[in-house]
Amino acid sequence: MRGAVYNLAIPNAIPNSVNRVLRPANILRKVAQLSCVLLGLTMAARAADWSGPEQQLARKIAAVTGPGAVALSVENRSSLGKRDGEIIQNGLRAALEGLGIRFVKAEQSAATVVISLSENPLSYVWVAEIRQGEGEVAVVMVSAPRPVGSTATHESVPLSLRRIPLWSQDDPILDVAVLEENATPTRIAVLDAGKVSLYRWQGGKWQPEQTLGIAHARPWPRDLRGRLIPAKDHLLDVYLPGVTCQSAAGAQVALSCHETDDPWPLVPAALSGGTVSVFPSAGSTSVAIPQVTAFYTPTRNFFTGALTPGVGKFRTVSKFYSAALLPREKYLLWLFAATDGRVHLVDGMSDQATRLDWGSNLTSVRTACGAGWQVLATSSEEGSADSVRAYEFPDRDAVAVSAAIDFPGAGVIAALWAEAKGDAAVAVVRNRETGSYEAFRLAVACSQ
Amino acid sequence: MRLFDWRWLVVSSVMVAALAAKAETRPQYGGALHIAMRAQPTSLDPADPSQPDSVSRRSLTTLLFDTLVTTDENIRVQPALATSWQTSQGSQPGSQRWQFRIRRGVKFHDGTPLSPEIAAASLRAANPSWNVSVDADSVVIEREIEREGSDPELLAELAMPRNAIAKRNPDNTLSGTGPFHVVDWQPGKKLTLAADENCWRGRPFLDAIEIEMGKSFRDQMTALELGKEDLVEVAPEQTHRVSQEQYRLASSAPIELLALVFTRDVSSLDEKLLREALALSVERGSIRNVLLQGAGQPAASILPNWMSGYGFVFPSNADLARARHAREQVHTIPTWTVGYDGTDPVARLLVERIALNAKDAGLSLQPTPAATTDLRLVRILLASIDPWIALANVATVAGIPAERASGSVEDLYASERALLATQRLTPLFHLPVSYAASRTLKDWALHPDGSWAVADAWVEIGKQ
Repeated sequence: MRGAVYNLAIPNAIPNSVNRVLRPANILRKVAQLSCVLLGLTMAARAADWSGPEQQLARKIAAVTGPGAVALSVENRSSLGKRDGEIIQNGLRAALEGLGIRFVKAEQSAATVVISLSENPLSYVWVAEIRQGEGEVAVVMVSAPRPVGSTATHESVPLSLRRIPLWSQDDPILDVAVLEENATPTRIAVLDAGKVSLYRWQGGKWQPEQTLGIAHARPWPRDLRGRLIPAKDHLLDVYLPGVTCQSAAGAQVALSCHETDDPWPLVPAALSGGTVSVFPSAGSTSVAIPQVTAFYTPTRNFFTGALTPGVGKFRTVSKFYSAALLPREKYLLWLFAATDGRVHLVDGMSDQATRLDWGSNLTSVRTACGAGWQVLATSSEEGSADSVRAYEFPDRDAVAVSAAIDFPGAGVIAALWAEAKGDAAVAVVRNRETGSYEAFRLAVACSQ
Repeated sequence: MRLFDWRWLVVSSVMVAALAAKAETRPQYGGALHIAMRAQPTSLDPADPSQPDSVSRRSLTTLLFDTLVTTDENIRVQPALATSWQTSQGSQPGSQRWQFRIRRGVKFHDGTPLSPEIAAASLRAANPSWNVSVDADSVVIEREIEREGSDPELLAELAMPRNAIAKRNPDNTLSGTGPFHVVDWQPGKKLTLAADENCWRGRPFLDAIEIEMGKSFRDQMTALELGKEDLVEVAPEQTHRVSQEQYRLASSAPIELLALVFTRDVSSLDEKLLREALALSVERGSIRNVLLQGAGQPAASILPNWMSGYGFVFPSNADLARARHAREQVHTIPTWTVGYDGTDPVARLLVERIALNAKDAGLSLQPTPAATTDLRLVRILLASIDPWIALANVATVAGIPAERASGSVEDLYASERALLATQRLTPLFHLPVSYAASRTLKDWALHPDGSWAVADAWVEIGKQ
């Protein structure tokens, strides 16, 4: 368990968005290079930012000591990193020298100056304690705003599960849909409690394209969840508790929302209504996948368990948080993360409650790796960060096929949905260090 | 009129330390939460001046009521019952007009829609000296400002639980807009709450909360061990022991000031020297290690370092040589009586230890639980995590005249230094507030002001 944190962590590096397993790829090498450039720019910008308070504090110190010889020491009592501390120390020394102060050993000095780089919840507080002879200690100080929202470096580990950053924002993200992509996503939609925001990748960054407000009369439930489903004949559908919205085509996208208890689709659009290979890597037999939809409780955070058209003989299953589909040779196996904390396997004939110690977010992806279908499931040790792991089901027992992948800032997984193509998933994570929400594409990589 | 940039303001109550955010399962609906507390509030009115400020009271208020503004996890002001706000020049020279637009569609627990009139009446009841009015869909507060274009403390004050919006009915009942409503209220004994199905922030996960009051630390811990309570208070000196056990232990940032407060001003140079000697004689470090079992932080500042950023410049180490030197300049040494709260399990031990330290410096202290004494050992709960509000409140408790102020961190330091220079109080320790919870209680949060937040908490239903 974590104790109360009252000195907020100050991250000192940009996110490491490049997974080690991807390094050989040229494009990702370029991304890494770009990251280095960005890192350098960030550092440079940060160094420049300190000049104001450095000059301010230097002037205040010089006003007490006057020009001359002083013994200076700088102590970092804040969450600033070592590098920032050194940059500030150098900046302070330069600023003091510019005001006619020379630095000598304590025994040769007319004054000793101890500068402490401290902080309070909102600001860095730099305090100089100045001793001149036997007199009282003079204290001068300045403050500088603390940055908000940057992320700590996260050490990634070699995995067959890739984590690709899609989007980050302060407001809770409910879902992110990739609307267009070439080698990488070029247009995305981001769903939060009040709107759908469309972004296009232009000029090396995401540019806002349009914001579509979501009208709703009833208060949202706590632990709000929602889905973005790209559509074939229009841009997308939005599913929220008690509300569904549909986009209208046009030069400018419009969103039409209405209060309804329409069920949410459980099967990725690209997979439903057709047949898919059960073992695509082995060219095995195909099985038809009907769309299955599930009713969502408008005032809670789970599905009621009512399904349409149902799974085999089951029109109703236990109330559940999430579901995953696994096509078998002659039937479809569904996994439901039920509100009773157990994962239920439903094959159309039986409903088997397992003892899997999984979290409440799970989904499945169809890939060209391994058995062709993997279940991605959340898990966490109590008090530690959440993680996602890929599993396969040779029979009715889960076999882990990837190492667990975790997220920056000891992230807590807020959502895990399959993407429309069904070959990857989107995980939305709340970064516990920054408080921001980050969406990642999770893809299974073969031969790792 | 300009839109106020509120992003960098500190306000009081909600720097949240999310505890045990175990997310392997989503929050589950249902169940009742059982909480115990020592305090025995006899009123739930957030503005009732007869009720002492306490973390328990702050916690209860946030269950039943909402404020116009609140803060997010980054301690930035966020809309609550007010959706937006603007400032402009007031009608009087040197005054500022704040206009808060009231959120639509919010209802009190009795079904009455929230209106600017009710919100304004609530703020007037809590702050009789404020100039509060209504303008269309907004509440307007006009007040003098200390300096051009700056009155950040208003937002901080509005976020304090005491300024929560309550509908006060003619029959002396109260209604709020918080996540829970009152089902049964036995003043000072027991409070039973039920989830508000139509809460504007969404129905809470818990169905009910039962709060037992007037329970000693020991009784609370026993109840937790027996499974009768889910969330109990822990004395600072007990946190080390409890941390060895199976419960979730959580402590806030140091938010309580333990200090010696003199009942009158310094009246002579001799008295000034003796008070200085006393402050220098207290061995805070060893007292913390032994009597407080390592809890809290030795302090010579009023504000804890995490709040001000400069607390470390006030040395808290004992300096017996300097203490004796100061004492030796005085010929006649009076015996000071030192009062303490007889119901505080550790207060007497602390005072006796301080008296021994003082004796080493040649001073004479006489501990007594009597009410009338020369000085007292007091616990002062910092009123807000806004340092200006906290400082002003400590001054008031210590009997030092203080005016509303704000400014730079250096101004804050100067104000704190001026307060300490009065020698009306000698800071000793900054203490956190600690709680122990059963392992089935999830997603509860602890604010740095020491209060707990269980609006988003839920109780885990065991896997069957």
